[in-house]
Amino acid sequence: MSIRVGLPVVAVVGLLAQGALASDTRVALVPGGPHPYFAAWADAAAAASADFGIEAEYRVPSAWELSRQNEMIESLVAQGFNAMLVFPGDAVGTNSTLQELADFGVPSAALAGCTVDPSAASFCLGTDVARSAYLGTKELIEAMGGSGKIAHFTGFLVDPNTTLRIEAVEQAVAEAGGDVEIIQVIADIDAPEPADEKINAFLAARGSEVDGIVTTAWVPAVVAATSLRNLGDQRIKMVGIDHDAVVLQAIEDGYVHGTMLQNPYGQGYIGSYAMDLIRQGCAVKDDAPWLETAQTARFIDSGTAFVDAAQVADYQAAMVAVTEEVMSTFKDDFLDCN
Amino acid sequence: MTERLRALALADWFGLLLVVLVAGTALAFMQPAFLSTYNIYVLLLSFSLWVLVALAQMVIIAIGQMNLSVGAIGGLVAITFAGTMQVWGLPIPLAIVFGLLLGALCGLFNGVITHVSGISAFIITLATLSIFKGINIGITEAQPFYHIPDAVKAFGAARVGGVPYMLVVPVVAIVGVWLLFNRMVLGRQILAVGANRHAAELSGIRVGRVVVIAHMLSAVLAASAGMLAVARLQLGQPTIGDDWLILSFAAPVIGGAILAGGHVSVIGTCLGVVIVTLINNALVLLGIDPFFVQLLLGALILAAVILNRWRERRREAFA
Repeated sequence: MSIRVGLPVVAVVGLLAQGALASDTRVALVPGGPHPYFAAWADAAAAASADFGIEAEYRVPSAWELSRQNEMIESLVAQGFNAMLVFPGDAVGTNSTLQELADFGVPSAALAGCTVDPSAASFCLGTDVARSAYLGTKELIEAMGGSGKIAHFTGFLVDPNTTLRIEAVEQAVAEAGGDVEIIQVIADIDAPEPADEKINAFLAARGSEVDGIVTTAWVPAVVAATSLRNLGDQRIKMVGIDHDAVVLQAIEDGYVHGTMLQNPYGQGYIGSYAMDLIRQGCAVKDDAPWLETAQTARFIDSGTAFVDAAQVADYQAAMVAVTEEVMSTFKDDFLDCN
Repeated sequence: MTERLRALALADWFGLLLVVLVAGTALAFMQPAFLSTYNIYVLLLSFSLWVLVALAQMVIIAIGQMNLSVGAIGGLVAITFAGTMQVWGLPIPLAIVFGLLLGALCGLFNGVITHVSGISAFIITLATLSIFKGINIGITEAQPFYHIPDAVKAFGAARVGGVPYMLVVPVVAIVGVWLLFNRMVLGRQILAVGANRHAAELSGIRVGRVVVIAHMLSAVLAASAGMLAVARLQLGQPTIGDDWLILSFAAPVIGGAILAGGHVSVIGTCLGVVIVTLINNALVLLGIDPFFVQLLLGALILAAVILNRWRERRREAFA
């Protein structure tokens, strides 16, 4: 069943199924596919359900395919979900699905990744990836004492964010005034085996030459942390990304200097809160303090935080603090509820 | 002696050996770190994993079929191996046996369905790829198993000079598969089924049995690769195996395997893996721009295949 044919049918079924829950918000948090990054959305959904009296659920498509995500969204509407938070399976392709949802009165927002404008998504709430990469590199340069050679390990080249990350790292290095040099960028290592192969090949060839490593994708961060631990190397400074247990343990043990948290918990929690308010009649402001990215003019930074050995034991507190900071002004800044 | 050298030069993998030697020598001159102990270790680690993946596909190519679920089986066994140790507290040897049995079961499933239905293994394994991956994601919910026993982690990182302990597993597998295809009746039957299924049937070979065994062997090799990946990565990552498909075909084809079946080369496949590993290593060592890595990787693999085929045709022309 195509999304165009499917949604009208399932929307009617869903609305009938909703019955007594007609005034309640039922929001589904749908990632593009299975990935450990999104696991925090499940906790966020549970917390939002308890705190806002809504029903929020985390539902994962079985694979990273746009069609599977679309089918899941159809199914969720049929089950009575009336708001969607979606990590776009495709920055352009997801727009038609979100438009269908809007046509049937189901509000939506893009979460953790944006759709390309024009879009029916109310907003895009995610990490400012360029800022995160920039700040992470700044932290690395500081840890290196302001000079040295660094390597950048990152993710899929087809992801437009990868280019933004590469440019952000270059910007931070350029601002160091010639004392810091990027000696290698290794990309397309989002699968663990090639990441292990390439990162270790790099360390074999240039491990004695490099002073710092910045990683801007989940898998390279995990693999690089493991490699430094296996080598017993605490000379090379590394700043990772996200909150995988391997990276956090490596920070605690002194093999990794720190990591840039992306706040997936906050994305799920704030997104659920916003969907509930929109369903209650709040409108998204046109003159809100939106950030503009290459994809959308309605971007909200869900926040980023650097965590090093001093804070790693209580890293969740850093996520909660960032979330509270964004939450404190979210309603006034972005929504008109009069 | 001269006869032996002549026989060696006529071997279908000899061209690949020359490519490996020339490429290795060139790399050693261009980047001295290429011959460092640690880089040799890194190369052998990659070889250890990839050769199992390539052999898993090669066995199925030998019967004239394709197995798209090699990576999904490896991934499923990887998380099962890690999960049974973490959640059930299974001792390592039992977890290994459990993983191998699970692999064999996946292969049995592939083989029986392929044979009984008469549908192309390409279609069947495309479907089972989704099934095995789905079970993987259903069990893990995309979360890795982190608590791998220290002995497994130590095995994945241990080495003597530039030789990783992990190399023991593929060496045993290579010898076993070579013996199968060169010294055992079953190996000959597999090749006969691949060369001409109908003729094999008429000559009394139980084709169904051969197909099922080939699929089981392929899956056990993939399962071994999955467990090695856990030891190497030190966690049961659900995405293990996602990236195996291209290499699983590239190495046997570079090694001279005929996709229609009936002819494969164990040594050629091993050299195919060495070539792909060398190319990957070189692209990092030489600091190639990341935006051109895929292009160069594809072009170099294509060049290796064409060179080997050109050499084979010349050999056939002069034979």
